[in-house]
Amino acid sequence: MINTGENKELSMSTAIMKNSRKKRLNLSPYLYIGPHLILFGIFFLFPTLYGIYISFTNWDLIGEPEFVGLANYAEILVNKDSTFYDQLRIGLGNTFKFVLFTVPACIIVPLLLAAGLNTKPKGLKFFQALFYMPTLFSVSAVMIVFAMLFSVSFGPINHYLNVDTNWLSTQPYAWFTLVIVTVWWTIGGNMIIYQAALNGISKDLYEAASIDGANSVQKFFKITLPSIRAQILYTVVITTIAQFNVYGQPLMLTKGGPTSSTTVLLMYIQENAFGSGISIAGIGAAMAVILGICIMIVSAIQFFFLRQRD
Amino acid sequence: MKKKVVFMFSILIVFAIVLSGCSSSSSSGSSKNEILYWNPFTGPDGENMKKIVDEYNKTNPEFKIKNVSITADDMYTKIPTVVNSGKGIPDLTIVHAERIKQFVENDLLTTFDEKLADYPEIKAENYVPAGWNIGDIDGSRYSVPLDVHSFVMYYNKDLLEKYAPNALDDNVITFDEIREAGEISRKDGITGIGLTWTRPIFLSIYNQLGGDITSDGETPTLDTPEAKEALELLKGLVDDKISNKDGEDPGQLFKSNKAIFYPEGIWMQNSLNEAEKLNWGITSFAQVSPDKIVNWTSSHQFVMFKDENRSEEKTKGMMDFLDYIRENSLPWAQAGQNPAALATLDNPEFKELPQSFLVQDPKLQESLKIFDYKYNGFVAEEVDKLVGDAMFGKLEIDKGLANAQKAVEDKIANNKK
Repeated sequence: MINTGENKELSMSTAIMKNSRKKRLNLSPYLYIGPHLILFGIFFLFPTLYGIYISFTNWDLIGEPEFVGLANYAEILVNKDSTFYDQLRIGLGNTFKFVLFTVPACIIVPLLLAAGLNTKPKGLKFFQALFYMPTLFSVSAVMIVFAMLFSVSFGPINHYLNVDTNWLSTQPYAWFTLVIVTVWWTIGGNMIIYQAALNGISKDLYEAASIDGANSVQKFFKITLPSIRAQILYTVVITTIAQFNVYGQPLMLTKGGPTSSTTVLLMYIQENAFGSGISIAGIGAAMAVILGICIMIVSAIQFFFLRQRD
Repeated sequence: MKKKVVFMFSILIVFAIVLSGCSSSSSSGSSKNEILYWNPFTGPDGENMKKIVDEYNKTNPEFKIKNVSITADDMYTKIPTVVNSGKGIPDLTIVHAERIKQFVENDLLTTFDEKLADYPEIKAENYVPAGWNIGDIDGSRYSVPLDVHSFVMYYNKDLLEKYAPNALDDNVITFDEIREAGEISRKDGITGIGLTWTRPIFLSIYNQLGGDITSDGETPTLDTPEAKEALELLKGLVDDKISNKDGEDPGQLFKSNKAIFYPEGIWMQNSLNEAEKLNWGITSFAQVSPDKIVNWTSSHQFVMFKDENRSEEKTKGMMDFLDYIRENSLPWAQAGQNPAALATLDNPEFKELPQSFLVQDPKLQESLKIFDYKYNGFVAEEVDKLVGDAMFGKLEIDKGLANAQKAVEDKIANNKK
């Protein structure tokens, strides 16, 4: 039988109808991702887009936002006489410093701890709990405790070291304190990831290496590290993003001082948008967008290396 | 399969309920016979305010007060959103005095003008002037004060006896006297003065020297010779080791009998009472000269945010509550504050309270200075960054003042653009 165009059209439309009916029936994938999608939309997508919009406006959070185009970006990026230009430069500089100081320690210390725990020492569970515990505390609780520990005249640290170092408001001690506190507070998360990864390495490799006469340092660098490379790079990216968003530690511990040397960008953003004065939300939002772009660029570079090596 | 779908749907519904719950909780308070009352009091202050509200509700008023305490930062962030949305606007709100001008400028407040006619006792004569005057803007009344809380001077009675027995003879402690006492006490390892919250300390001295944070209510004036003098005075105390060292906790020093003088807020009494071996007294903030006394002060004020749906009756209910507060502020005074309503002054129990001297004496009433500049918030942020670094020698005073002045100007400019 010769197929006429008419017939063909008919069969196609039934096929489409069948297809669409099939599609309509198959709702379950959407139901599975639905809750996530809704939360993603409400708490991530909408605020992000709205924040970007605010960065193009002049707004005090009360009246109507007034569209000013790129004026806010010009103010913070180009106008060298402006306070906000200085704020962005100082804030971003301090944020980068913080990332640079903390990320290596936040990778190496948990890795060493995980390697130690992987030898299954006595009291394994106890130590595991001990190292993981700080991660569960809120930032304010941790900072209050450390402010007391590092207090100049009444703190146990100065008492036992028998010095009267001003750990919180002179440099370079302020940075040192911030890094120590942050590492102590965040050890747990990365350590758990490394422990899981180390558990997955085949014992055969270590046995073979022992037979060949490798010592433990060689084993660590030739077997352990290469085997968990993917997890290390993953934690590097995640930790970097987390440290870029630093806020609570300098706010509570050093109050951004001395002389703004530990004031990170998020503190300026907060002050401009929700400070004790009238809100300058546009400038704050523009700074936040720039911080976001910085994080994206740094993460992209890291992801690039992650892909290269695998 | 069907079960799964039902399960997923129920999860979605739970989510929907949770999410809608967040938004409805704020609007539910404004029900018919209730006055939704927001205040920034938490901790012991919050407890005392709750007590007052409970007592009032026991008198069985037509409109009961629904007390909602929110931390100050959260409250100030929420207010614009809530007033703009028109839903769940609090009927009555306590805000800090320094914020009122901003709110009026943004057209967020309703005046009390017409309502006051029925409440003749809510008038200037019955309140501490510093607290009352702030609510009058261009001839309209936008707020009624709850209290006037000041930053004053605590002293250690035993140490004062030992190192500066004559300092309080004229009821005024001068910086010269602090210096003298500190120079002697230093040898015994006793600190002269513990410097805590630098903003009110600096502003008090600045104002004593004749400076103010604005020249005309519009222009900020931070970079002035008086400001420089004030910072140099503070730096001198640090340099000559009259004050605590950088990083040393002045509160701990004072509580452990290791500092003679300790400027702090009158609201800090409870924390000093916890230190058992401490024998403290309280007087006006330290002065440069006894001729002009300045006590940095702020005030909590009742305001009404604009709400088209608020009925006449409800407003009347609120005024009843304000009138009740005017006569029954003693519990608030017991929390360490000074009520703004003078009715409490006659109460013998109030006269016993250590901080009451500030409002008992009409001369000291005049010393209460509220820095009610429209851009007070911008100034506060910059002063906070400036003073500590300047007095501990980490920041050059001239440069610091110039930067602070510039920063406030830039913030104002970008706000107006």
